[in-house]
Amino acid sequence: MRNAADVPVTRRVPRPAQDVVARLVNRSFRYWSLLPAVLIFAALTLYPLLNLMRMSVSTIDFAQGATLWTFTPLRNLEALRADDVLRPAVVNTVVFVVVSVAIEMVLGVALAIGVAGLARAKRWVRTVAILPILVPPVAIGSMWKLMYNYDFGIFNQALVAVGAMPVNWLGSTNIALASVIAVDVWHWVPFVFLILFAAVEGIPPDLLEAAHVDGASRGQTLRLVVLPLLRPAIVVAFLFRTILAFKVFDEVFLLTAGGPGTSTELVNLHLYKVFFEQNRLGYGAMLSLAVIAAIVAFLLVSRRAALAVRT
Amino acid sequence: MIPNLGFTRMLLAVIALAAAAPSLAQKTFLDVGKQADITVLVGSTPWYPAFEKAVGLYEQQTGNHIKLDVTPFGNILEKARNAVRSGQSPYGLMTLDTQWTIEFYEGGFLSPLTDIDAAFVMPKEVLAYGDSGYWNAQKRWRTADGGKLMAYTVLGNVQLLYFRGDLLKQAGIAPPATWNDVLAACTKLAKPPATYGFVARGEKGNGIRYDWQSVMLAEGAQVVKNPEAGDYTVTINSPQAKAALDLYIELLKRCGPPNFGSLGQGDVIQLLATGKAPLGDVVTAAFASFEDPNKSAVVGKLETAPLPSGAGGARGAVIGNWNAVVPKNAPDAQKKAALAFSRWFLTYDAQRAFAEAGGIPNRSDVYTSDLAKNPKYRWMPAYLETQQFARQELGYAEGAQVEQILGLRLNQALIGEMSSGKALNSAAAEIEALFRKNGRRTGVLAPLPE
Amino acid sequence: MPIAATASGTRALRAGIPGRVLVALALFAIVGPFLWILTASFKHQIAIYAGQFPFTPTLSNYADVLLGRRSDFAGNIVNSLVVAASSTALALAAGALAAYSLHRFRWPAWVSAGFLGWTLVFHMVPVLTLLGPWYVAFRELGLYDTRAALILTHVTINLPMTVWLLRTFFREIPPEIVEAAHVDGCGPFDAFYRIVLPLALPGLIAAGILAFVFSWNEFPIALTLTSRETATVPVAIARFAQQYEIQHAQMAAASVISTIPAVILMFLGQRFIVSGLTLGAVK
Repeated sequence: MRNAADVPVTRRVPRPAQDVVARLVNRSFRYWSLLPAVLIFAALTLYPLLNLMRMSVSTIDFAQGATLWTFTPLRNLEALRADDVLRPAVVNTVVFVVVSVAIEMVLGVALAIGVAGLARAKRWVRTVAILPILVPPVAIGSMWKLMYNYDFGIFNQALVAVGAMPVNWLGSTNIALASVIAVDVWHWVPFVFLILFAAVEGIPPDLLEAAHVDGASRGQTLRLVVLPLLRPAIVVAFLFRTILAFKVFDEVFLLTAGGPGTSTELVNLHLYKVFFEQNRLGYGAMLSLAVIAAIVAFLLVSRRAALAVRT
Repeated sequence: MIPNLGFTRMLLAVIALAAAAPSLAQKTFLDVGKQADITVLVGSTPWYPAFEKAVGLYEQQTGNHIKLDVTPFGNILEKARNAVRSGQSPYGLMTLDTQWTIEFYEGGFLSPLTDIDAAFVMPKEVLAYGDSGYWNAQKRWRTADGGKLMAYTVLGNVQLLYFRGDLLKQAGIAPPATWNDVLAACTKLAKPPATYGFVARGEKGNGIRYDWQSVMLAEGAQVVKNPEAGDYTVTINSPQAKAALDLYIELLKRCGPPNFGSLGQGDVIQLLATGKAPLGDVVTAAFASFEDPNKSAVVGKLETAPLPSGAGGARGAVIGNWNAVVPKNAPDAQKKAALAFSRWFLTYDAQRAFAEAGGIPNRSDVYTSDLAKNPKYRWMPAYLETQQFARQELGYAEGAQVEQILGLRLNQALIGEMSSGKALNSAAAEIEALFRKNGRRTGVLAPLPE
Repeated sequence: MPIAATASGTRALRAGIPGRVLVALALFAIVGPFLWILTASFKHQIAIYAGQFPFTPTLSNYADVLLGRRSDFAGNIVNSLVVAASSTALALAAGALAAYSLHRFRWPAWVSAGFLGWTLVFHMVPVLTLLGPWYVAFRELGLYDTRAALILTHVTINLPMTVWLLRTFFREIPPEIVEAAHVDGCGPFDAFYRIVLPLALPGLIAAGILAFVFSWNEFPIALTLTSRETATVPVAIARFAQQYEIQHAQMAAASVISTIPAVILMFLGQRFIVSGLTLGAVK
């Protein structure tokens, strides 16, 4: 860890113009540092967010080539209540999010720690380990659909080759959701790995050295020193992984289109159908707001649970 | 890096031009004069290469320019909606799948073709395809009777029965004429896991809805009683519909692969192309890929026939055609240019060229020409015969929602989550509620035993 | 200094045999499907359908994708590179500044919590509800079918994650270091640029890689806001998912091609960020 004594500062002979600019930049840093992000964000998000809120309490029809807005908040709420597909979709989504995020977090953290302990070739390993998130989601969906293919997919071919029965990966209501979760895990463990690996790399080595000198075993070092230090990164990874899990679309759409039956119907998929296939924009907007509320609720519950576990 | 790409492109362009030189001397199929440049919205489909060739021919013959915005199939609707809902449309011509047309007709987003040019007349040889190009605003129905001409068919798809002529002959089975014949044939031919007997879509949603409706129509059942006359009484839970559903489930369960509940069109094509199924219900447009040695192991072995008839002798097939429409908010010059191209495209010569490039022509005289005798186009007689009984289904504003309801319930019955009676009853109740909410004159039949 | 450089750090964390086996297994599981895509890209469609192995390899899929008459794939890659690189640079710059600002300066609660909360909530909004308004807005501004529109929207999409991630990593830097720099006469911006950023390097790399990847693979916005010339790689790949069937062979080839520039750029990018920052850093 760096301390005050070993941070020397090189000072150059100040030249008048540079010095003035540098001083201005530094003095106003406090104000202009937050500005770019706020400007970009405000410019691009205000209109869509306001539009979304307006849509959620309206019904939108088209006639004579023009758009007609009618104020119908109750009708949209009623549509929300009466939506039969929504119930199984919500259940499936919660199961999907909980299971896949849990697995991804565990595997991601374990992989990050494991790779950090490698003597060399770290940069290569990192580049290879993130390959899954480099592949476009539409390609992931269609390629995995082929791999899960009942007659010719590689998994069933392997099973048959060792004498086992082929599995109906995407056509059986019991297994379909698990198959989709497997694809998601493959796709997103690198995401968690990337964030956690950066965090592990940032751990001051003297802390670990000190623990080693104190006679701590590897397991104890991991549990009592490393993991607590990784906590902020774990929280951020969990936060964003969860939000992204609620928004999953491409993979499910291509793998199962929500079937068979309603076994892989997920909320975002249903939202797509309402919004685009059925063209019910007002209800779709209301549903989006409901989804956002659900995500917030889910995160608050997770936070409560995490706090309870720690104490 | 970039200069090298440019050079390669130039080289390829020069070679292509040299190869195309002979055809530059061709006389035009129809003189349409000089027109403005337009962009056409078209989807990434198996017939797109053929359409592109046809457009290329148009450009060569007339010197006009057409840009093709080829969009992934799942996103054409969004692009079309965006184009018509805002300011000026970037497209002069758009191709819409049949189930989307009603939304655009009702929304007033399109220019009727006769408004752009009062002298425009559809050639009488062009097939009707259930009048999907006409819109009667009074009845809110697609019909030439009192309807305005809004679109014409660019590509008219129907399902055909594909079968392995060699395997059927070997087993001494005649090409099936009724759905029960199909059941008998497939039971005999199925030898799982090496080969299955019959494949059709079982996938939830549009897949099972579209394929099952051919059987439904063959058994004499309907979704709604008489929508053209305004009677939206739901008749989906009739005994005939139940018979059709039971038959379909039996076909797939007995003769299909174990994952019949999730079979999409791609899976069906794959099973036929790899020789794992001797009988299948597939769209006409897939024929070309069965004849491509890079995509098929059964080149030259598949025959086609119109879809079989039901117990009462009726036949059924559902039309899934692409309609070319002109947005109302396109500039006038572009509308005229779009119409000019359309006139050219609807000529016999252009349609014949389209067929030769791998497309499905929309004129009956191409089907009765010498092309039909060429084994490469051996699907043509079956296709022409199907036009006599093929119908448009779900031709109302609630079509997408009705499809979602049916697509779910049918799939649930197929995979055994509920009985066929219960599935149809649930679907009927939900569809009736939907129509009632939209102010249609509706009712429902007595429920089936579940 | 990152652990990688210290022998003691590595020793403390060094995996035993079981650890190394697990890492190897994990890497195999990760790379396996990718290898499958790679082999599929050299097969004809029928060979993919029938799951043939061994098979006769072919380069026709790559030829189709790169040189086909209706393919602008090379142009699509250029578009993707420009959009992804620009939006990543912009998102990192704006995000790092904002994250540091929120961490270092005492903003009133409504500013910091408000901005962070707003970005998080925006991240939860389903992207397809944003498409309509953005399409209309950009068409009005005349920016439809431009790379600039894509860059701006991608920055907006990636800003939440960038800000939150970098905030986490900035918080891990001991405040004494920054104070020492102040004692020595460093202004707040210099302290940020010369001391904090180099220390937060691992976090910057992670955030940069993620922003790049999300921009590279972003599909719905790219589809809505572009047409043929400005289309990006995911839009081009999606065209292989046709109405009735997916052209798996070409899609595999296109996917393989699309990962190559991304991998190269990231590999180089890591090195560039490291050298760039250490140049400006304090020795």
